[in-house]
Amino acid sequence: MTVQEMLSNYVQGNTWDEMMGHNEIRQPYQLLFEALAGLSSDQIAQKNAEASELFMNQGITFTVYSDKEGIERIFPFDIIPRIITSKEWEHIELGIKQRLKALNLFLKDIYHDQQIIKDKIIPAWLIASCPHYTREVFGINVPHDLYVHISGIDLIKGEDGKFYILEDNLRTPSGVSYMLENREVTKRIFPSLVTNNQVKMINNYPLLLHSILLSLSPRHVKTPNVVILTPGIFNSAYYEHTFLARQMGIELVEGRDLVVNGHKVYMKTTRGLQQVDVIYRRVDDEFLDPLTFKADSILGIPGLIGAYRKGNVAIVNAVGTGVADDKAVYAYVPDMIKYYLNEDPILPNVPTHSLLDKEKQEYVFNNIHNMVIKGTNQSGGYGMLMGNNTNEEEVAIFKQKVAENPREFIAQPIIKLSTVPCFIDGKLQARHVDLRPYALCGPSGIEIVPGGLTRVALKEGSLVVNSSQGGGSKDTWIIE
Amino acid sequence: MLSRIADSLFWLNRYMERSEGMLRLMRTNYVLSLDKGPSDSNNWKALLQIYSNLSLADQQLLQDSSQKIISHLLVDPNNDNSLQLNLNRARENARGMQDHITKEVWEQVNHMYHKINSKNTIETILNNQQLAPIEYLLKNSLLYTGITDSTMPRGMSWCFMNLGKYMERCLLTIELLDKYFSEIDFNEEKDILYWRTLLYSVSGYEFHLKNYRESSVNFNVAHQIIFNNEFPYSIFYCLTRVKKYFEIIVDENKTKDKNMLVKEFGRIYSNVEFTDLQWIKKTGMSMYLQTSKYNLLQFTNTLSQTFFSYS
Repeated sequence: MTVQEMLSNYVQGNTWDEMMGHNEIRQPYQLLFEALAGLSSDQIAQKNAEASELFMNQGITFTVYSDKEGIERIFPFDIIPRIITSKEWEHIELGIKQRLKALNLFLKDIYHDQQIIKDKIIPAWLIASCPHYTREVFGINVPHDLYVHISGIDLIKGEDGKFYILEDNLRTPSGVSYMLENREVTKRIFPSLVTNNQVKMINNYPLLLHSILLSLSPRHVKTPNVVILTPGIFNSAYYEHTFLARQMGIELVEGRDLVVNGHKVYMKTTRGLQQVDVIYRRVDDEFLDPLTFKADSILGIPGLIGAYRKGNVAIVNAVGTGVADDKAVYAYVPDMIKYYLNEDPILPNVPTHSLLDKEKQEYVFNNIHNMVIKGTNQSGGYGMLMGNNTNEEEVAIFKQKVAENPREFIAQPIIKLSTVPCFIDGKLQARHVDLRPYALCGPSGIEIVPGGLTRVALKEGSLVVNSSQGGGSKDTWIIE
Repeated sequence: MLSRIADSLFWLNRYMERSEGMLRLMRTNYVLSLDKGPSDSNNWKALLQIYSNLSLADQQLLQDSSQKIISHLLVDPNNDNSLQLNLNRARENARGMQDHITKEVWEQVNHMYHKINSKNTIETILNNQQLAPIEYLLKNSLLYTGITDSTMPRGMSWCFMNLGKYMERCLLTIELLDKYFSEIDFNEEKDILYWRTLLYSVSGYEFHLKNYRESSVNFNVAHQIIFNNEFPYSIFYCLTRVKKYFEIIVDENKTKDKNMLVKEFGRIYSNVEFTDLQWIKKTGMSMYLQTSKYNLLQFTNTLSQTFFSYS
């Protein structure tokens, strides 16, 4: 079967398909499929195998544990790129910049004056009940008033072909190495396609990140010491940590490499102690400092928060940003944008129901087949209920859970994510996708490299794209 | 350089060198065990003593089958020193410092790790077809050395890697020589057939034939393996390499207790440099080798306290 034939057998789902509109290929995808038309499914399958080998040999794997033995898997990669036009991209870019500006102002406010609560935009109890609201960092000033430096906001495209914000990931979002490696692999297997389509460059991301990290140094020295803090080789994103360290030429450290002395952070080297100025941490807040947070954590550095409070070290992202990506706080982001910026949100939220009052709960459970219930504090596709694909038993369990702790859940109507073609079992098949662009906030503004990680639900009909739930990824092209 | 990284570099190469030595020993013993000779059971005994934590009784049980011994040494999960575990540890070290070794080095370690852990390889080994995987991995160990040599920058990382490599090699050479001499009396003259296994195990058989012609084989082997500076597995050669990298490390890191460290190593080094076989014969070979080994291990302790301690 050639690609031409595969295209004529392509079955669209009952939602917006990014390649196929009214029985013809949409304009952005035309050039790509003209170039692929002559290839047979065997040839594509061979390229697919080539791509998997590239990932495996480079050790771009994550470990799945079963029977006490770790098995290494690659993160599934689909070789057909996903295309977004630069017109769509401009809109996304503006929307994300606006949102991050508001979220940074919110974080500064919530850890200092709390005007937004005093003005009754957000109820105080909502913040107080947020597990990631970190009282330990109240009143700490951070360099340039920036809290979220690195974010991975998830977007989806609905049935109407418009982008919506699905969730804000403001703690330690991962996946950026996959965005960059996916492009490198595409370049290897389809060299001419990337240039012919005038795909915008993304590989300056590590350089942008590095210059932002340097600019945050509290010590005014010529070459500040910037490090990445990793939980270690057993972390599922460990590959990404080494990738970023290598690309930026900075040290990758573990908690045991650092020590705090006199409210300053040092790393232990063969030459003795060296002061550290900026820590890009990929360790969650609660593991950062056993003196302040979890006392039994061995990932952290005793005394780190003390040094942070004194302003002797910058931590990226700032401690406590989790309060802003809580799924219950998410519903208030449009109000924040209005309150802090006096603007209307450029990218809309997905409608979100709080489950606090009985009536709402009833409404949601009566319409459960069109609803998804999510834990406000969960990620990675865990702890959620997809109403279209469930049974009475599961619904009953969730009803019980929601009744016990209504604050910990929200409900959203199920949005049929848009689909794109994927090469699966020798055929082109439509699969649902989302989009995670990576935005960087520095003292001189917000920068977003034109692209992002497209995550794809590889199971037919599935709307869950998380890698832990059988998701894969695609290279994402922004073209003129 | 971070102490943890220095530690990992040092141990990555120790484990890789250990694996290489082990593979070569196994290949030699296996191939030679195919010819029925007078002293083969001895050969496996030495290997089991070095690389296995089995009790003497359990070792006895394995003695009758080369294949069982090899499987035990390669992949037995109950053996703390199996090749598989050594390669896993090497890879663990490499993985924790991927940003400090070249991509090529990492990919090679990764490749060997995947090879020894693949179902296919383990089945082949357990089905008693062990020579092919041993040969394959030995080739790849050598490839690792080549890749390291041609891609690693010659900075601090290189020094710590080589320090590990030659310390490990030196310890293995001492260990082997001791095993072979402890079986005999120095004065009881053994022929080249007795020494052949040892010489093959350190890639030194042809070297020996070319360079040593006359008189006592015992004497010649001891000379080659302890003193010959052209032979890359000799104790003296290894220590000369260690000396070179150790001096750079001490200088560049402006180490505080420099004098103490330098003196400690100097004693070990001169114990080889200013000794000859007559003297060793007088003190006893075993005594001499055991003391050298003990001093080296003490020295690695001091090294790790100075450069690697991060706890």
